[in-house]
Amino acid sequence: MAAAGRPSSRRACPAERKRSPMRIECRNISYRYHAESEPIFENLSLCYDQPGFHALFGPSGVGKTTLARIICGEIQPAGGSVTTSRTEPILYTYNLERLPDWATTGRHLERVTPDGRAGLRESLVDIFDIRPCLDQRFGGLSLGQQNRVNLLRYLLQDFGFLIMDESLANVDEKTRETIIMHLKELFRDRMIIYISHNLVEVARFCRQIAVLRSVSKQPRIVRVTGQDLRLEGRPDRTALEKTMLEMMNAA
Amino acid sequence: MLPRRIYQFFLIYLLGILVLLSLKYGLQLSDYVIPGPKTLWQTALEVFPRYALDVWNTLQVALIGQVMSIVLALAIGIPGRSTTWFGNFIKAAAYNVQAYPIVAIAPIIFILLGDGFLSRLLIAAMICYFPILLTVLGVMSEPVADVEHFYRCTGRMRWQLEVKIRAFENLHKLTTVIAGSATLAMAGTIVAEFIAANAGIGYSIRIALYQSDLARILVALLLIGICLSVYQGLLEHTGSLVKKAWTGSA
Repeated sequence: MAAAGRPSSRRACPAERKRSPMRIECRNISYRYHAESEPIFENLSLCYDQPGFHALFGPSGVGKTTLARIICGEIQPAGGSVTTSRTEPILYTYNLERLPDWATTGRHLERVTPDGRAGLRESLVDIFDIRPCLDQRFGGLSLGQQNRVNLLRYLLQDFGFLIMDESLANVDEKTRETIIMHLKELFRDRMIIYISHNLVEVARFCRQIAVLRSVSKQPRIVRVTGQDLRLEGRPDRTALEKTMLEMMNAA
Repeated sequence: MLPRRIYQFFLIYLLGILVLLSLKYGLQLSDYVIPGPKTLWQTALEVFPRYALDVWNTLQVALIGQVMSIVLALAIGIPGRSTTWFGNFIKAAAYNVQAYPIVAIAPIIFILLGDGFLSRLLIAAMICYFPILLTVLGVMSEPVADVEHFYRCTGRMRWQLEVKIRAFENLHKLTTVIAGSATLAMAGTIVAEFIAANAGIGYSIRIALYQSDLARILVALLLIGICLSVYQGLLEHTGSLVKKAWTGSA
């Protein structure tokens, strides 16, 4: 991953492109919310260049969601470009999404499961621990259950890149850890960008962490390498603390 | 819901009668101006069966007119939700036309179509059409981002699904405006009957008006009120049944 204002890191991206086909790059992104307002991004560049579980981290209000929406094409930036190395869609999911309440969540999940992915759906239902929710309507679920059901339906779709914006909010820590660990195993060849305010979680599980800083700070994005903990792995406390410290200092 | 509506109407009606009687006795007005309780009762017994049929006739026209306006509002409002030139044209036209008092063009309709069933139906439909159209346009033009996002970004969104989501999320608004438009449909029909029709309770009120027979008018108002309360109550009940069936909530 490369960061704005860090020329050495930016040069590393093209070389890595040859080794890895999975890549997403934002170049010189400029954006402002209103014509009169100060720009939230000015020539912002960012690159994730490996498949895996990565993160976009930063304090509230720095523009993480806006950047995510620019990456997935929901918002057009005033300047700059977003390029990806694959043709698969970039999906963006956030924690306030809802399923229509006219059917049970189980029925909804069945309807949005592409052919041949019923097995994956069943596995994810168990990993996400939402089997008891399948007979209920979305409105009757707790916030944590709602977020899990919502994320699950995205994971069933065709995607090369998935941006999870606080998608596991309100989910208890143990379940969150189980979900993240399994996602990393099941979707090894995809790129998942996790947006969260949970410092420990991001430091432990993510590989490339882009810390987006406030508008007044330069460079806007600082790169931190996460611990990328996997199912079979054991956390190295010292390394984890170092990563967390780097992230805190960067933010 | 239904008994409450009727009970509330009776309370208001009785209050109105009490005010009239207070005026009559307070100002010592003759029975010719405001009839006494005995005259009211006798008139009610005399005209009740005939007026009940008249109200039923009016209600039938109002009901058909309302159904017509709902179908038309959906047919225009759904394509009108888009941001194309057609959608923008529909919205601009609807907002401008609804600002005009439709009743004022009723005489033109009577001149062109005569004083039969069709004129009454057309006026009833026109009066309740625009409020329904504006609500449908408002509901259908407003994206439900939290629900629609998934279908859009995965390429699953179709216009039928979009309409279904927006209707579902605004079901309360839609059922309320449909129940409310029953009053407008009834008012439209009665106004049409006042002007030039040859049937319906509005026509009977017009005759009573020419005879300055307040007792008959009050009996007609009682029947209109009961009929409208029952009709609106049934519409609300149907709306809540639809909601219950669709959302699965109690």
